[in-house]
Amino acid sequence: MSVRYEPGETLVHRLDPRGKLAVQIAVALAALAHTTPRGLVGVTLLTAGILAVSRTAPAAALAEFKLVLPFLVGGPLIEGVTLGPVGFSVTQAIPPALAAYRTVLLLLVAAVYVRTTPVRESRAAIQRTVPGKPGQLLGLGVGFVFRFLPVLRRDIRRLRDGSAARLGTERPVRERMRLLAIGGLNRAFRRAETLELAVQARCLAWNPTLPRLRFARRDAPALALAAGLLVVAVV
Amino acid sequence: MSAETQQVELIGDEVVGNLVRAALLAALTGAFAYVTFPNPASPTSVTLQVLGVFMAGLLLGPVWGGVSMTLYLAAGAVGVPVFAGGSAGFGELVGTTAGFLWSYPIAAVGIGAIAYGGFGIDADLDAPVWRLVAALTAGTAVIYALGAVGLIVIGKLSVKAAIVGGTLTFLPAEAVKAAVAVGVVRADELSAT
Repeated sequence: MSVRYEPGETLVHRLDPRGKLAVQIAVALAALAHTTPRGLVGVTLLTAGILAVSRTAPAAALAEFKLVLPFLVGGPLIEGVTLGPVGFSVTQAIPPALAAYRTVLLLLVAAVYVRTTPVRESRAAIQRTVPGKPGQLLGLGVGFVFRFLPVLRRDIRRLRDGSAARLGTERPVRERMRLLAIGGLNRAFRRAETLELAVQARCLAWNPTLPRLRFARRDAPALALAAGLLVVAVV
Repeated sequence: MSAETQQVELIGDEVVGNLVRAALLAALTGAFAYVTFPNPASPTSVTLQVLGVFMAGLLLGPVWGGVSMTLYLAAGAVGVPVFAGGSAGFGELVGTTAGFLWSYPIAAVGIGAIAYGGFGIDADLDAPVWRLVAALTAGTAVIYALGAVGLIVIGKLSVKAAIVGGTLTFLPAEAVKAAVAVGVVRADELSAT
């Protein structure tokens, strides 16, 4: 995990999370609508600008997505192979290659959001954007997931280490998955019971106190950018 | 100076319990996303995420299983590192493999609805093995159908490449996960559900 929230003083750090989410969605829509060489040159320049303003190193951000890379590189390669006379057709490989490149750009833009926005602010953004109780549940749930992911990851790592120390890696894959599933679920449910009791004792309410979010003048360019990109996506 | 007062409306015990379990299963699915096993049928590796989807549907039922997977996607979108290999961000939800992710809530709802025989919230899971297998088969079909659609529409792959490279090579591993899920639910090895 190379991309996570890092406190900082850049302009992007100080923007309202809702504005940043709007920009992300608008960039994605614009890129999806214009996956042409010309369109992608534009999105590349925009992405480079966003990376520069937020002082994010693209290489570190991309390293995180290594599990998606086989799909990105493999897709165009598989597509280009022709079977009539065996060979490689560049024309066939171009559309999936453009799509793969677009995915890389969108992953970079998303990495900037992740790096500059604490999850607490994202939670507040969710609860202030999605109306009513669904929004509250979504915000609360995301908070719980954020809090318990590292704990459960540690549980799972312990299970795997313990199993490996006893030559568990020699077992068939199915058996290893079964042991991991049972161990992981038992620990998750035990933690759920404790957490349930704890939040009930603290009187979990539908209307909690959230960090204040307010659009300021510095958010105007971000919102204008999002609106502009939406227009580009539609036209 | 003015004092602000507001009524506090407590969340009911039942909702709290279900929400907490849904969030913990979403977090567990995220933790499973870091666990990779080599895939014998392809150079890519398989993660255990889908096992989390299976368990959400089977253990939480259609309603809260769906909530759990929605939480998973929302958490990933705002930057909690829960997607494959610990990645995160909205980009994954519109990227080449987005179809797989969007299918998770739908698959969890489908699995729960078949296994519990409806959308009741308070039912106990006492389905026979064949129904569990049917539920997980349907869930897997939903995940890979939508995943392939994503590869074709967003990734611009041809139908053949998407089905062979993105689906068929993963099905043997999914069959193993489904067998594990049925075994876990049937064998009563879970201490608390």
